[in-house]
Amino acid sequence: MKAAFILSVIVGFAGVLAGAHFYPWVQHVRLPSRTSVVANGGRAEEFVIRLPADRVHGAGTAAAGLRGEARPAAARLPADLADGALLVEHFKVRDTGGQVIGVAARHWTDTPDGWAAAWALMIPGRGTLYLTGRGEGAARVDAALARAGFARGTPWSGELTVDLLDEGAGRVVGGSDEFERLVGTYGERWTVTSVAADGELAGTITLSTVTRAGS
Amino acid sequence: MTRGIVCLLGLALGAAAGVGVLYLNPLTEPRPPTFAEADRTFSYRFPESDALLFTHEGDGRLPVLPRGAEKLWENTITGAALLAVALHDEGGKAAVATRLSRPSPRTDFLLEGALLSDDWLITVPGEGSLFVRAENNLWPVVKDGVVPVWYLKRPWRGPTEYRPTEGPHPAGVAVVRGASGRFAGIEGTAVERYELERFGASGPEALTGELRLRLPQSLTVAEQQ
Repeated sequence: MKAAFILSVIVGFAGVLAGAHFYPWVQHVRLPSRTSVVANGGRAEEFVIRLPADRVHGAGTAAAGLRGEARPAAARLPADLADGALLVEHFKVRDTGGQVIGVAARHWTDTPDGWAAAWALMIPGRGTLYLTGRGEGAARVDAALARAGFARGTPWSGELTVDLLDEGAGRVVGGSDEFERLVGTYGERWTVTSVAADGELAGTITLSTVTRAGS
Repeated sequence: MTRGIVCLLGLALGAAAGVGVLYLNPLTEPRPPTFAEADRTFSYRFPESDALLFTHEGDGRLPVLPRGAEKLWENTITGAALLAVALHDEGGKAAVATRLSRPSPRTDFLLEGALLSDDWLITVPGEGSLFVRAENNLWPVVKDGVVPVWYLKRPWRGPTEYRPTEGPHPAGVAVVRGASGRFAGIEGTAVERYELERFGASGPEALTGELRLRLPQSLTVAEQQ
């Protein structure tokens, strides 16, 4: 009886330690990557954001135009960031099949070298991808909408395509885990299909990446 | 029958001892790197004053800020969290940062701790942006806050300082990569520090976070490409 008790204590003790060490405590759901091989090497992958459904948050200064209006309204930038050019946006990210696969942050500002945009795309099962490129000019989407007949405060619908970065104009600069050693290029296209009276944009953002293994 | 009860008691006792050992296990404590000097230090207050957004799955006790913000409920992003904060550097200059977090598959409650993979995108208006990749061990916060305050209903025994950074750099620090403007092509390292003043039913109720950056190595853009 005594031996059984001692053995049970040892088994219980070892079982807990073994579970703490060997059990896969973190297992992210991962969908198959929708990538394709490009002719000159590397792989191409598109990420899609559907507006307004995938917008988690957005806030910017006046220079950002419509996109700078705080959504949700309570999430506006503090007063000491209200001057200058700054736009901070957060989205859910989908694959080309329409499945949500991750989240992303986009920051835009002016720099000594001109406008700049940067993306961090986190796909929990794969890692985080870093993108950076020459950013669009101030209120570029607003200007394109105005040329298409949009007037602020009035609903608009149609189909407007704005390339915030020409295809391949931005740089993929690595990231974490699966993306750690990737380099390459990306393009960013906004397709706007409607604007609500309160300025909420509807449409699609497409990030087109071409990557290859770097050093 | 009696033997079965004795075995069950033994298993329970052994398991309890195992849990106790895990709870006090020094192997899962962060091993903070020495990082006395920093080229730039950014700090923020959470949740009051500097939090622009904090969202996650939304089912736990942690709040979603601001109220009504979209939750990360899809099964492919369960466990992920988005935090956006206004930052201030040591000179008072304002910046903004997004932290994208996810539990790390390296989490191991025997040897490593509760690891979180964090990717920061930091933008200083007029200067540019940079990325910071960090692996943080939150086990001490679980041990000091989550277990006693949430589950044992004990009062918070703070304030407490945490230095959670454990990698991914071999030296146990986070990795900095410049993105644009003044930071383009820069590579460096970083560590985080938290001063947790209050921890309550909804998690951290008063916290000062600090991100200390060292940017010793400047690369040209051409070299980086």
